[in-house]
Amino acid sequence: MTAASDTAPAPRLVLTPYLFLLPAMLVTLAVVLWPVAETVWMSLHNFILFKPRNVPFIGLGNFWRLLHDEVFWLSLGHSLVWISLVVGLQFLLGLVTALLLNQTFWWRSLARSLVIIPWALPSVIIGLTWTWMYDFNVGVLNDVLIRFGLIDKPVAWLAQPDSAFISIVVALIWQGFPFFAVTILAGLQTISAELYEAADMDGATRFQRLRFITLPAIADVIATALLLRTIWVANSLDVILVMTGGGPGYSTYTLPLYAFLKAYSGMEFGYGSALAIMLTLLLLLVVFIYVRRAARELDQ
Amino acid sequence: MRDSRSPLQRLFELHLPLLLIVLFALGPYVWMMMTSIKTNADIGAWPVRYWPDVFTTEHYHALLERTSFGGNLLNSLIIATGACLLGLGVSLPAAYAFSRYRFRGRRLLMTQFLVINMFPIVLIIIPLFVLMRNIGLLDTFIGIILGHSTFAVPFSIWMLTSYINAIPKDLDEAARIDGATTLEVLRLIILPVVMPGLVTTGIYIFVTSWNEYLFAMMLSGQNVRTVTVALQLFIGEFSVQWGLLTAAGTLIALPVTLLFLLVQKRLVSGLTSGAVKS
Amino acid sequence: MKRRHFIQTAGAAALGAPLITAPMIPSARAQTATVRWWYHFDNPQNTPNELIAQFEKDNPGIKIQAESIPWGGGGDYYTRLFAAIVAKNAPDCAMVKLSSQAQLLEMDALEPIDGLIKNWAGKADISDNIWNVNKAQDGKQYYMPLQYVVLYLYYRADWLQAAGLQPPKTYEEFLAAAKAMTRGDVSGFGMRGGGGGHDNWAPFVVGNGATFAKGGMVSEQALAGNRFYVSLARDHKVTPASAASDGFRQIVDGFKAERTGMIIHHIGSANELVTALGDKVSAVPVPRPANGKGWTMFGDESNALLSGSKNKDAAFKWISFLSSGANNVAFNKLTGQLPVTTSGATSWTLHPKRFVDASAASLPLAGVLPDSPKTADFARTVWPTSMQRALLGQVTPDDMMKTIEAHYNG
Repeated sequence: MTAASDTAPAPRLVLTPYLFLLPAMLVTLAVVLWPVAETVWMSLHNFILFKPRNVPFIGLGNFWRLLHDEVFWLSLGHSLVWISLVVGLQFLLGLVTALLLNQTFWWRSLARSLVIIPWALPSVIIGLTWTWMYDFNVGVLNDVLIRFGLIDKPVAWLAQPDSAFISIVVALIWQGFPFFAVTILAGLQTISAELYEAADMDGATRFQRLRFITLPAIADVIATALLLRTIWVANSLDVILVMTGGGPGYSTYTLPLYAFLKAYSGMEFGYGSALAIMLTLLLLLVVFIYVRRAARELDQ
Repeated sequence: MRDSRSPLQRLFELHLPLLLIVLFALGPYVWMMMTSIKTNADIGAWPVRYWPDVFTTEHYHALLERTSFGGNLLNSLIIATGACLLGLGVSLPAAYAFSRYRFRGRRLLMTQFLVINMFPIVLIIIPLFVLMRNIGLLDTFIGIILGHSTFAVPFSIWMLTSYINAIPKDLDEAARIDGATTLEVLRLIILPVVMPGLVTTGIYIFVTSWNEYLFAMMLSGQNVRTVTVALQLFIGEFSVQWGLLTAAGTLIALPVTLLFLLVQKRLVSGLTSGAVKS
Repeated sequence: MKRRHFIQTAGAAALGAPLITAPMIPSARAQTATVRWWYHFDNPQNTPNELIAQFEKDNPGIKIQAESIPWGGGGDYYTRLFAAIVAKNAPDCAMVKLSSQAQLLEMDALEPIDGLIKNWAGKADISDNIWNVNKAQDGKQYYMPLQYVVLYLYYRADWLQAAGLQPPKTYEEFLAAAKAMTRGDVSGFGMRGGGGGHDNWAPFVVGNGATFAKGGMVSEQALAGNRFYVSLARDHKVTPASAASDGFRQIVDGFKAERTGMIIHHIGSANELVTALGDKVSAVPVPRPANGKGWTMFGDESNALLSGSKNKDAAFKWISFLSSGANNVAFNKLTGQLPVTTSGATSWTLHPKRFVDASAASLPLAGVLPDSPKTADFARTVWPTSMQRALLGQVTPDDMMKTIEAHYNG
């Protein structure tokens, strides 16, 4: 659907967008297409890695099984809470940080670089360091809290279902807020100074500036960042795996972790693939809604 | 942007909150760094030893001299840079196409890029391994760079598209009226103005590649081992080499932080620096 | 459709002919044979280079290409091994554990070594106990034993003495000792409820008569043993609050920090504990039932010859080299475990004698988890999850046993 203000000139350039897209498509599809197809194939079979001789086709059998699997529903529930908390809080902290870093002050460069650090560490280090900080016996968190009188006995953070979940969420907020901070900051930088000057002349308060100029201008960047981050967080499992392995019990099981454990611990690649595909389909739903809404705006 | 607030106001509204945030970001890292300069005896001590009596650099020595860590750092650097260049080179034209053109299958293609990322890598890692082996790219730089780009590119395209969308189309039109070709528009108009977005996206690709574990674990061997994989060598069955691990962790964060420090300037918008009035 | 066939045809079809073509030249023995060997050491500063140099000197036609594969909690090592086998890129030999033997056999990945060890001089230097433990279900020998540990009980000798108690032999004595040592924020027993903790649980459950055969996990003795074990945490409260998620790192740290009085582990942590606690720490075999032999875990590690190897004889020379006499001792100095050779065990000095003695005293009770493809999943996921749920009170101890029974026997 082309609008009247379409910038692309006459039909002779109709190939251009496709040409511009070609390298990206080659790089991504060539590497991913076949493995994804293979995963779909595996999900339709009862495929156990150490029984390569006996791989019966069972159609939607794995999917039927998963709908009746209580651990699937449990993991799904956890995933939903997980994504909302982690993405939401990462975003809020990142937004505040970006707004602060966008201002001019003497230690700005330093602050900007230091804030990056959590993002610069591999998940395994983050998982291990935080696990160690939460340690019941020798952890620094318990020690600090006791010294400040906030608790009188050490807390076994990772051994209780509720505290384990929240503890990991905190570690993930720490890991991910720099992503939002940096992304939003770059967006803030593209806002023309003239807009602010015009607002100043109209006597706008800082809050009004934020609400009517800043946020709308970066709305697209925020929405994209949220979408991308949601997808990433929905699929992430390394930190949870390192910190609790899904325990205690099933209390920190998320859907990708469940799929991973089924495949790599139980060697049930067929069922694990079905779980992964389920996750993908659910994410697809979310993305569809976003793309349709965004496309309406983008087409203007 | 002139700031009309009093110094006291600035203290409470800017410096203090930011300081808290920076301390939060730094805290665990500093803890890790402190651990890396303690002796093994002090590391596991209870009550917690905050300030050791003896500082030691033995873990760093052991790390750099008696393990392959130095080489692994270099490998990671090469791979992350390669992924960054390949990723940006491939994403920028694609993002431009998505932002500036309306064509058949546009929405479908944009979504398709995302779908690739929605698949948990863990599940496709074994077929991917077999694939890489068949094309002979196992344990090579290119294999891993290709792998990392594959997963970074879709996100990059989306991010760059939104950054380019924020640039008014009038700029393009003005340039075209002056007779610029599409490539010139891309190079002379869009590129300077989207630089902050480009830098951010580049950093995103670099960091993602730097921290990536699964791919590197499966596709690398002895020759092209990255730091994330090397870290796992310190986590054994019976013991965790805390000294080596924390020393490694401290070092691992540095290249990214330094990189960020270096490209800071580019984060300032091309719009405000007058690129428009050419 | 057979999976391997699918991979090969799909891979070939999608990308054209693979770059690697089979060599047309018949293997010429005059050339150097290269043996690829995968290993993992806990301490990455240690390398097998000296052993390799020695071997290559003694065997001029063979080159050893040793690759250190990150352990990553065990998962990564085996994921890579399985993937390599599936992609026909496996090494010639690799360090492996018994818990994976059944799965590797199902994949046709192992080469039997019965014929090769029959004429091997070093065979007699490894005790029959150890050979038998490593035999596969089909009676053939696939694994070449390399090193071992046995799980025993560490305890605070000074605390027991102060309480006027002897090191515990039976379950009841164990409970009494744990109670005596529990005070304030110190717990008598540092229970390992996280991944790998089945080695803490088994002495009380399998030791009490549970088996992995059909019905063996829900028999009276099995249920009673498990109830007792769970009651340590929930009723007697002799375990720390973090027990449900504690792994080996946490229980060792807790014991070192003097927050627990007893832990079940093996000689791998002995030196670390002695550095922290000196003579205050000692060890005895795990608690047993009043009228029974008891049971403890035999922690194994062996080398296996992979069926896809093109240099089987050379690879066998290497793995048998590592399991003989002085070489085995040298190898274990690098890994911190116990040599499998009888000659090596008698002259072993890397660990304090009392811990070597405790290991030796535990050998008669030592066993391994069943040689079934389900064991890996049991150890990694099924046991930790149900144990944690039982410890938290989310399920009853009996439910936990039913879950395990269902996992193994359907």
